[in-house]
Amino acid sequence: MLQILVYGAVISAIYAMLAVGFTLIFGVARILNLAHGSFYALGAYATYTFTQVLHLPLLFAAVLAVAGVAAFGIAVERVLVRPLRRSSLAVLLITLAVALMVEQVLLLSFGSEARNVPSVINATYHFAGVDISAQRIFALVAAVLVLIGLWVFMQQTRLGAAILAVSQDAEAAQYMGIPSDRIYSIVMGLSAGIAAAAGILVAPFQTVIPGMGLLPLVKAFAIVVVGGLGSIPGSIIGALLLGYSETIIAFKISIEWSQIVSVAAVLITLILRPAGFFGKRAAF
Amino acid sequence: MRGSSVDWLAAFLAAVALAAVPWLFANNYIVGVMTVALCFGIWAASWDFMSGLTGRENFGHSLFIGVGAYTAGFLNVNYGLSPWWSLVAAPGTAVLFSLIMGFPTLRLKGPYFALAMLSGAAVMQNLTIIFSVYTGGQDGLNGLDPILDSPLAYYYLTLLLMLAAVVILKLLANSSWGTILRAIRGDEASCQAAGINVTFYKIAALMISAAFAGLGGALYAHYQLQVGPDLFAIVLSINIIVMVYVGGLGSIYGPVGGAILLNVLTESLRAVSEYRLWVYTLILIFILFFMPQGLIAPLWRRVRGLLQ
Amino acid sequence: MTPLLRVEGLSKRFGGLHAVKNISFALDPGSVTGLLGPNGAGKTTVFNLLTGFLSFDTGSVEFDGRPLAGLPPHRIVNRGLARTFQLARPFQGMTVLENVEVACLAPRVNREGRPRQRARVLLDQVGLGNKADTVVDVLPYGDLRRLEIARALATRPRLLLLDEPFAGLGTSEIQPLADLISVLHQREGLAILIIEHKLRELMRLVRAVIAMDFGEVVAVGEPAMIVRHPRVVEAYIGKAELGQGDTDIARDPLGAA
Repeated sequence: MLQILVYGAVISAIYAMLAVGFTLIFGVARILNLAHGSFYALGAYATYTFTQVLHLPLLFAAVLAVAGVAAFGIAVERVLVRPLRRSSLAVLLITLAVALMVEQVLLLSFGSEARNVPSVINATYHFAGVDISAQRIFALVAAVLVLIGLWVFMQQTRLGAAILAVSQDAEAAQYMGIPSDRIYSIVMGLSAGIAAAAGILVAPFQTVIPGMGLLPLVKAFAIVVVGGLGSIPGSIIGALLLGYSETIIAFKISIEWSQIVSVAAVLITLILRPAGFFGKRAAF
Repeated sequence: MRGSSVDWLAAFLAAVALAAVPWLFANNYIVGVMTVALCFGIWAASWDFMSGLTGRENFGHSLFIGVGAYTAGFLNVNYGLSPWWSLVAAPGTAVLFSLIMGFPTLRLKGPYFALAMLSGAAVMQNLTIIFSVYTGGQDGLNGLDPILDSPLAYYYLTLLLMLAAVVILKLLANSSWGTILRAIRGDEASCQAAGINVTFYKIAALMISAAFAGLGGALYAHYQLQVGPDLFAIVLSINIIVMVYVGGLGSIYGPVGGAILLNVLTESLRAVSEYRLWVYTLILIFILFFMPQGLIAPLWRRVRGLLQ
Repeated sequence: MTPLLRVEGLSKRFGGLHAVKNISFALDPGSVTGLLGPNGAGKTTVFNLLTGFLSFDTGSVEFDGRPLAGLPPHRIVNRGLARTFQLARPFQGMTVLENVEVACLAPRVNREGRPRQRARVLLDQVGLGNKADTVVDVLPYGDLRRLEIARALATRPRLLLLDEPFAGLGTSEIQPLADLISVLHQREGLAILIIEHKLRELMRLVRAVIAMDFGEVVAVGEPAMIVRHPRVVEAYIGKAELGQGDTDIARDPLGAA
């Protein structure tokens, strides 16, 4: 029972990080970023490279990884996405292309065996007859801190306000002097950075393989659809719902059944309430 | 865009050329590649009929393919029926699924419809893995019988069915059906105001698209002699869409050309299979940036213009 | 004469906004009526309610003796009630001929066969005959208007709802279009209901006017009477300014420029 509570919380927090980043770039720039999972994977692999190959200290490596992936995200937006903005299908396919390419590069550079990223804390706690690794607790705490930090940033800073303005009406924001194009790039970088951070946090206890970004992408996508494209609170609630449903079903029924929750949730949401259950407006 | 005699002549020549392939390349491997390519051709043409004409892009075409293939698997492996039955039953089940999926989703706006179909296919994929007792789970069903024993005969069967599919779909596309479907793409509300029952035509188009996709699925299943959950994969749907874009959206015949081209290309890169994905990706980017109208259909239109 | 269209107690709310309040009116077969009112009065909403694009909350609509409640737009068109849109919405990527051909395929008229032929005839009627094979994407606005009318006529309606047919047209384009509407009315004998702001042209075309404001009918009558009706004037100009300045309505909209 305690295991479900804690595992569910960890998964939900990580899902929330991914979903929030995904919904941000969608809500603001209308980009359905299929490369989101790639940012997650790149975060993990970058940390691996910095710590195991370059032997940099863990914290420094993590920060460097986040910054690097964020910069990569900005580059993708400016170079590949911006010219195709008129066609949402084209943007979708180009992000898919990026996702495929990143996976290929990772496969060629690191091979297909799982890589080992060290934990920040190497202890295991023992609570009520259950072993819970300290790294998971750390991941949970860090994820929550990141989300709180994001919330504060969006609400209290000028840049955050600008981002919210663009997400509501890009043209109006432009008239107010807010450079929408630049905001899109910044949000992409932000989204990529958060995804990378999620990848770094889970890397010690998840399998680090080139294709690791696919499932998280599917989950993030499902959460965002259920919660409402472009709604940050919706993403967090959705993440909790999905995280806990999956954990409970995985423990009580089977892993296979838990995997269907996300896609079934998408289908049901689209049929019943396409705009999502917690979003304020329809995205399209 | 009505069929002119030049078009039909070109189609006839293309059919002859495809029929001549086994004679030109007396090689079972190549015939095999082409058989698979023709299956993709059926899938691409059927996708184009629905999504190319109406503009309602279906990102879950693999649902119909997988359903058709597994129907073939069930009937043949679990119930021991002759593989010929699959060619009738597979389209049938695919049509059934298109009704189940189509009714709740076709009223959704563009991207929502695409996503709903995509998640439908993903749900089926998961269900196939969950109910492994019936479906063989991740390993799928093995030991299907081929419809015809000789690879050569199988190639001609597939070619025949592919040509039949393209002819039927093209005739429909050139008829008033096609006009209405293209009008739906133009503006659904105006279609309603013109007295057309848009929902009926969308569902009908999806059903026709599903029927041929399912047929292709059964053909493929009895060729590979096995079916697996990968047939429901999103990747398959995306590959088919790329083939359609390479061929030329809305032309019906273009996607077949796109399918053959891309299948031959990826097979010829089998030697450097790690780079296959690169090539697909690069083609995708190239088409998106430089040739959104596609390759094959615009090329043919230019040739036809020179001839007339 | 039994009315062709009978509307009673029609109402529609959008959340807090009561867009259409208790509207009642009737139209006779072959009549030409104007629907007047300032922006936001609810005129296009009434059109959308009559044609099934919106569902009404309360009230009843009877067309040709049969109720229209709950019918989808395409069924209403096939009963003989056609409309044009305020912003022309052609089928992009198709030719002018194909645009009209689609409407010729509607069940109501499909059994007449030869949709292309009929489409050509309709295009000639609205003066677009020579542009039959042009792709609509490049058509000027005035021609798009004619195309909308041709498409609406293709379904052989008994009642035609025109939503601001003169909007966005220059003075030289309006008169020919008004003449066309007049000719079509006389030739086909269909009833017409027009929303229009260009009062001069509207008043010349119609025999009766329904005036709306804030979702309600405020006056019904002949053009000459309506333009002097205090509620109508008030709706367009506002109470305080009545009597000051020169406005078309207060003076003589039927007469000089």
